[in-house]
Amino acid sequence: MLGAVNIRTNLALFASASALGIAVSACGSSLPPPSDRLASAEAASRSARELGAEREPKAALHLKLAQEQIEAAKKLMADGDNKRADLVLQRAGSDAELSVMLAKEHNARGEAEKAQEKLKSMKNGK
Amino acid sequence: MLKRFGIRSSSLVLASLVVACGSTLPPKELVDARAAYQTAAKGPAAQQSPAELHVAKQALDQAERSFNDEGDSAPTKDFAYIAIRKAQLAEASARAALAAKDKDAAEREASNLRDDQLSRARGELQSTKSNLEKTQDQLAREKAAREEAEKKAAQALADLQKIASVKQEQRGMVITLSGGVLFASNEATLLPAAIIKLNEVAEALIKGNPDANITVEGHTDSQGQRDYNMNLAQKRADAVRDQLVARGVAADRIKAVGIGPDRPVADNKSAEGRANNRRVEIIVQPHK
Repeated sequence: MLGAVNIRTNLALFASASALGIAVSACGSSLPPPSDRLASAEAASRSARELGAEREPKAALHLKLAQEQIEAAKKLMADGDNKRADLVLQRAGSDAELSVMLAKEHNARGEAEKAQEKLKSMKNGK
Repeated sequence: MLKRFGIRSSSLVLASLVVACGSTLPPKELVDARAAYQTAAKGPAAQQSPAELHVAKQALDQAERSFNDEGDSAPTKDFAYIAIRKAQLAEASARAALAAKDKDAAEREASNLRDDQLSRARGELQSTKSNLEKTQDQLAREKAAREEAEKKAAQALADLQKIASVKQEQRGMVITLSGGVLFASNEATLLPAAIIKLNEVAEALIKGNPDANITVEGHTDSQGQRDYNMNLAQKRADAVRDQLVARGVAADRIKAVGIGPDRPVADNKSAEGRANNRRVEIIVQPHK
């Protein structure tokens, strides 16, 4: 009798553990390392730097965020949490790409101002 | 007892998991992502960067799906975070495109301005060139006219030298005609041969020195009374002047003066000297 109860108890515990296991696996199962995502985020960061993102405060901020998240993702990958790392790298990529565009905007504004100054000078006959 | 505990504990675990993954209130990140997309969609991104705005919408949709599926989960927040960045990127892209358009417009205007300035400069250059050519033509014409006048003057001088003695003196060009050739003794009427000669002189003067002032001087030797000589000298000078005027020399630029015996060129004691003193001098002074 006691044995039967124990079996039932064990079965119940197993069911709970399985349910927990299914839930855990639904939120964070292991995946292959997101190497492409990592490469992509790092490439975007490099582009931002090359475009002078570090000289423009907003672009510099997002570049820094991207960099921090890339580092965090690398740690997650080292710990085997590739799923979380993948999402963190997506965040990093979005920050790096935003940094690229902010740097481009900054450069485009600079060029427009230069062209307008030149035009003004011509109009003033200098 | 153990059975009940076991069933109850599994239910609690499941319930807590459901609560964890299925909150109905959206997380702040998703609320912010929705607002960020709305801001971007209402701004210049709709026109300037529709592709980036579309990507932002897809990112927001993914966050919404994640929220529907998993509620307020870490991935939902991550997707919302990404959606915010994509919306910001669409806005930055639109601003960059507008700046590029501003630059293009300024450069186009500058280029047009340069073209206008260049065109004006070319016009001015052409005008200057045209004026220069006109001046050069004018100078060439003047030079040709001067050369022609000099040639005529040289020819006239050569002609005169054939028929009279011509000397260049301080008072001008002096053409000396012997009195014996022009007049009979004690007469003031021109001989026929003299008229022919004076006509040639007139022609040479008109050709070579049309604007010159001319003085005709009558000279005599010292024989006889001075008054008579003075009178004769004046009459002879008048006769020569009249003949020159008759042949076309301008009357207002020619005058006749009787010098008489006062300026001999030779000794009056000899017949030859007296013959040389009897003369008419035509002084040609270039017009100033």
